[in-house]
Amino acid sequence: MEQTNPIETSPVEKPPRRWRWGINRWWILLFIVLTIIGTSFIAPVMPHIQVAPEPLLEKPLVTLPVIGAIPLTNTLVAMLIVDVILIALAYSVYRNSKKGSLVPSGISGFFEMLVDMLYNLTENTAGRWAKKIFPWFATILILVLFTNLVKLIPGFESIGILHHAEEGHPIQQVIGNVYTVTDGTAAPGEGYVVTPFLRGTSTDLNFTVALALISVIMTQVIGVRAQGPRYFSKFLNFTTMFKKPFLGFMDFIVGILELISEFAKILSFSFRLFGVMFSGVVLVAIVSQMVPVFVPSLIYFFELFMGVIQAFVFGMLTMVFMAQATQGHGGEEHQ
Amino acid sequence: MTGDIVAAAKFIGAGLSMIGALGAGVGIGMSVQGALEGMARNPDSYGNLLTNMILGIAFSEAIAIYCLVIAFLMLFVL
Repeated sequence: MEQTNPIETSPVEKPPRRWRWGINRWWILLFIVLTIIGTSFIAPVMPHIQVAPEPLLEKPLVTLPVIGAIPLTNTLVAMLIVDVILIALAYSVYRNSKKGSLVPSGISGFFEMLVDMLYNLTENTAGRWAKKIFPWFATILILVLFTNLVKLIPGFESIGILHHAEEGHPIQQVIGNVYTVTDGTAAPGEGYVVTPFLRGTSTDLNFTVALALISVIMTQVIGVRAQGPRYFSKFLNFTTMFKKPFLGFMDFIVGILELISEFAKILSFSFRLFGVMFSGVVLVAIVSQMVPVFVPSLIYFFELFMGVIQAFVFGMLTMVFMAQATQGHGGEEHQ
Repeated sequence: MTGDIVAAAKFIGAGLSMIGALGAGVGIGMSVQGALEGMARNPDSYGNLLTNMILGIAFSEAIAIYCLVIAFLMLFVL
């Protein structure tokens, strides 16, 4: 009888499955056929696109004295969904971390990889202040990432309430109480227009401007925390004005330019994110109307890529500006 | 008649404002050129260069996005 060495025996491993081309093409073919059948009954129509988010209820939720009415818009509902998803993810990572296993798996593993990568980036750029700067970077990145990803779920920006509108489309019945708009222009006063229930939060200028304001204001706060009131000498630079007259005046002008560039940062942050996401909405709408069969999925892939990139860029720029705010002029002088 | 002229002016304005995306195309091409040259010289720094290239591309693309926002402003808001 053979004496098998216990170290060398191992259960017979199946040979690793080679990835074959043939698996997914049948699913794709099935979906293409379903799309052709679907669009022959209900043709997609160019939706009514507007920059401002649409309120879902007539009465506003809250009416504040100075700011005004705050309605319940469809972007707000989408943001609440993203919040619920994020809280559920955080709770599941917490539960996984309480189990005590050294190697996390699943959702925990993904978040550990993400946090590790971001913290390494923060430490490389910020140095000592990484612990204070990292929460802002990671929170903004994860929030914008999830709002951009959730925007791609089918049903966003297409399922909603039909309203009477001036230049609307005629409607046709699908099943029961569900109607859909069809092509063509209806008689004025009888046309309908869709108000979606859900709309991606990043397509709302309120969200992007608020996030940009938070980012820039917290940059100033971290700058003051790092350098004290001397931080504001970056903007109003009177230090060298009286020692060297002409160069001191140039420093003062440079300081004023820095102040203007802080406001430009708010505009740039908000319009970068808003522009990319809103142009994605318009692009998907136009392409779905023109070639509804396979091409929208390529546009969705592009949107996925752009959503991830824009989330990363927003967070990364916040982190870089905060790291620059902690270093004074002394750290940047060339020898 | 005036409604038609306003609609025509909207479309012409939106088209003209997108000429600014030319600069973004040139800028992205140059930054990718620099990144590829660096990767060819030093294949070990692939990850580092890729991250910085993506960041640079997003900056250049933001300028084209500003032009697009003006075009949308003309088409859908005003």
